[in-house]
Amino acid sequence: MNRTRNLLKKIGWALFTILFVIILNFFLFRVLPGDPARAGIRDPRLKKEAIEMLRIRFGLDKPVINCFESLNPIELGSCTVNPLDTQFFIYIRNLLQGELGVSYHTNRPVTDILTERLWNTVLLIGAGQILSILIGVIFGVFAAWKARTTIDHAAVITSLFAWSLPTFWLGIILLFWGSSQGLPLAGKATPGASSLPLLQQWGDIIRHMFLPTLTYTIIYMAEYTLIMRSSLMDVLSEDYILTAKAKGLSTFQILKDHALKNAMLPLVTVIAINLGFTVAGAIQIEAVFSWPGLGGAIFEAVGRRDFPVLQGAFLLIAVAVIFANLIADLTYNYLDPRVQTE
Amino acid sequence: METSTQVPEIQNQWIIRLTNFWRTFSKNRIGIVGLAMLIVIVFMAIFAPVIAPYDSSSSASEIGDVYNPPSSSHWFGTDDAGQDVFSNFVFGARVSLIVGFFAAFISIIIGGLLGLVAGFFGGRMENFIMRFTDIMLVIPDLPLMVVVVALTKPSLLNIIFVIGLLGWTTTARVVRSQTLAVKSRKFVLRARAVGAGKGHIISRHILPLVTPILVVQAVLVVSLAILNESALSFLGLGDPTALSWGQMLNYAFGRGAMSIGAWWALLFPGFGIVWVVLGLTLLGQGLEQILNPRLDTHHLMPGRPVIQGKMGMALEKIIEKIIEKSPLLEVRNLSINYINEGKPPARAVENISFTLKEGELIGLVGESGCGKTTLMLALLRLLPSAGQIVNGQVLFNGKNLTALNEQEINAVRWKDISIVFQGAMNALNPVRTVGDQIAEAIIKHMPGFARDQRLQERVIELLDLVGIAADHKEHFPHQYSGGMRQRAMIAMALACNPQIIIADEPTTALDVMIQAQILELLDSLRKKLGLAIIFVTHDLGVVAEICDKVLVMYGGVTAEYADVDIIYNESRHPYTQELLKAFPDLTKPKKKLSSIPGYPPRLDALPAGCRFAPRCPLAFERCHTEQPLLHKLNDSQSADHIASCHLLEASK
Repeated sequence: MNRTRNLLKKIGWALFTILFVIILNFFLFRVLPGDPARAGIRDPRLKKEAIEMLRIRFGLDKPVINCFESLNPIELGSCTVNPLDTQFFIYIRNLLQGELGVSYHTNRPVTDILTERLWNTVLLIGAGQILSILIGVIFGVFAAWKARTTIDHAAVITSLFAWSLPTFWLGIILLFWGSSQGLPLAGKATPGASSLPLLQQWGDIIRHMFLPTLTYTIIYMAEYTLIMRSSLMDVLSEDYILTAKAKGLSTFQILKDHALKNAMLPLVTVIAINLGFTVAGAIQIEAVFSWPGLGGAIFEAVGRRDFPVLQGAFLLIAVAVIFANLIADLTYNYLDPRVQTE
Repeated sequence: METSTQVPEIQNQWIIRLTNFWRTFSKNRIGIVGLAMLIVIVFMAIFAPVIAPYDSSSSASEIGDVYNPPSSSHWFGTDDAGQDVFSNFVFGARVSLIVGFFAAFISIIIGGLLGLVAGFFGGRMENFIMRFTDIMLVIPDLPLMVVVVALTKPSLLNIIFVIGLLGWTTTARVVRSQTLAVKSRKFVLRARAVGAGKGHIISRHILPLVTPILVVQAVLVVSLAILNESALSFLGLGDPTALSWGQMLNYAFGRGAMSIGAWWALLFPGFGIVWVVLGLTLLGQGLEQILNPRLDTHHLMPGRPVIQGKMGMALEKIIEKIIEKSPLLEVRNLSINYINEGKPPARAVENISFTLKEGELIGLVGESGCGKTTLMLALLRLLPSAGQIVNGQVLFNGKNLTALNEQEINAVRWKDISIVFQGAMNALNPVRTVGDQIAEAIIKHMPGFARDQRLQERVIELLDLVGIAADHKEHFPHQYSGGMRQRAMIAMALACNPQIIIADEPTTALDVMIQAQILELLDSLRKKLGLAIIFVTHDLGVVAEICDKVLVMYGGVTAEYADVDIIYNESRHPYTQELLKAFPDLTKPKKKLSSIPGYPPRLDALPAGCRFAPRCPLAFERCHTEQPLLHKLNDSQSADHIASCHLLEASK
């Protein structure tokens, strides 16, 4: 019973956070100087009528919310407006219908642009996360097990160094290296590859993924190594490890049966918290390698001041990260018997 | 100093603290390297106009100078506008550092304030602040920064504010938990009790203890701010007029440096970022190490090699043959040191000998810190990595355990000699069921037991033996009560039918009723299974009840060793006598209890003479200069009654 309540509480909290993000998103794009309408107005190519069309199309002719014409506090508006006829309500309604507006640049619905790009980002982050966690855990285990030896020092110093690398810069360096190796440097597929058989198509994608994933893995592996090391060091100094040793278990058995699961538990939380930072890395990597994902979309939208795309991408990323956090949180509860039975 | 609410001469104290801190810090290699790296870059930023060979705004005089490779006139080559990359690099340090430090300043102020308020005032305020922090922590920061900077004008000031206003979350959390920890310390509680004002408590008591953590946090926040600034600039959101390293990379990357192969325009600015961030990271690590010193040791680190005693191995074998019927366990002249790098070794256990026959129960008595646990761990070679057996033998059925290799000793552990540790909560693995942990020992040492029904039956049988119902087999340790955990630990120790059980203070931290139960259990098991038990305790009452023999230890050496009756009725060593005075005796209810003033000696500062001399009521001059030898007391009724005291020389 308690467990269900706990579960519901966590889900409720995640939903509340999403609501917060949605409201934040709405106000950010209206309170800050570069609101969508003005950005459109700034474009000298647009005629007055065209701007008015734009404003009506995006609902920008309506008051922001009851009592406020705009978010300028001096410019108060009427409070008798029909609340259903305000920008805020239209924004919420559109969101519920999965509509995120239309790109200023391509005139395509933002939802379409983002959905086709979302999976590329998931692919990149997924592959990078799995690799960096795997390698980071292995390095971390070795470093902790061989604590205060050369292996340990090398692992720690290398990790600190890798942690200090700006993601995009490492991407650039690897781009230089990749160009000398004849690796594909940009995009997700060679033009025309879609006519190839499926297996070769995937081979082509994997070749394109190599450099971005490598960049991602190096950056995040460092962090997982350090966390795994310190977590395992803590576990290995626990009394129950001494018990296991007194039982005559071999070092390998102790690590496998008594230390790893306990040490991995904190890692689950860190992986969850890290997802937010991970997205930051993905944006930079996608910008460098022209990877057609959400990060790439953000990079392009920044250059074109394409606000609807930017707004939609931010919302999508934030919601995805919140959900991923929730899942990691629930996984932790499932893995740790101490939480399970509380 | 911390106990009083008045802190005189705060300034002086700060100076002392800072000098002390510097003394520790200067020995920290990682921190020093980080600091040196930072000083170099700060120096470069301050003296940029002097160091840079070209003015920051000067461009090439000739068009052909665009993307020139490094040469003697342009050390780092030229960029897309024909500007000197080295000069831009030097001036870029200014921009990156300014953004990093000011943004971090904002973050630290906000995070520090929120954390302090949440931690100090608690209640709804804390709830609200921490909930808000949680939300902000989940929202991915770089996308949010991108959105905000894209919407505002990308000026240096805006970037500083955006990074600063979004980077406070971890600081708030760290400061809150530290404030909470400090708030409940005794001297703060006392200050509140005597009515000190909140402002006074915060500034005098809490801030001094929160500040160090805030400094470590600040170092990390600066490095994150610099990384974020460079990322924003690279994504095209930098201030076009302030050429930071990120901005340089953005221009070079966006304006064809890649395709031309102008590596210099892309490599050097990145080096700058890595240099600063790595410097900050190392500095942060160094400070963290000083603040939270960790021993960095664990139970799987390789132990130190055993130093065999003067008797050679060959001679040892011969002796074994001579002694036809050797006792079950014989410990001979065992000495253990703790090795401290740069300091003389601490002589934790010196020259301990005792024997244990089948079915016998020996009590190992002494105050905390007398080397009892060290001795027990050494028997199975379970010493922490700093511990080293420097002399003596442990003969189990005539086999010298100190001479075995890792595999051979693993076969002896638990199969022949098992241990019941003190504080079974931590001695059982919290994420595995109790039954599973018992079964593990059986699988390891009794190859006949496959993982089948019989194994489960054996586990149930063992639990039954210690009075735990079979259905608790599938439970986790935290679902057990303290007494049950200790009994489960005993069941586990019995799993492989060992000949000896070492019980290391198995009843401490349990209430009296449970203590009695556990003792009774151990004693009955001994009789039922013919176990030999080494019982480590500081409770002489327990010893009187169940032991056959007693070894009284003091400061790592034998004080007295004899049969239990002799110890109680005819003890000869002053320490034993004092110990007995400190324990209530039901047969002599009028007896006055007295405690021994003082504490056992610290291992790194052992007295020159007898280790008990500083506390001994009978000590005379010789006791302070000369360590007493072990005397076998022939006039005693016991066959081997041994004690180490100068007073007993005559009764030899």
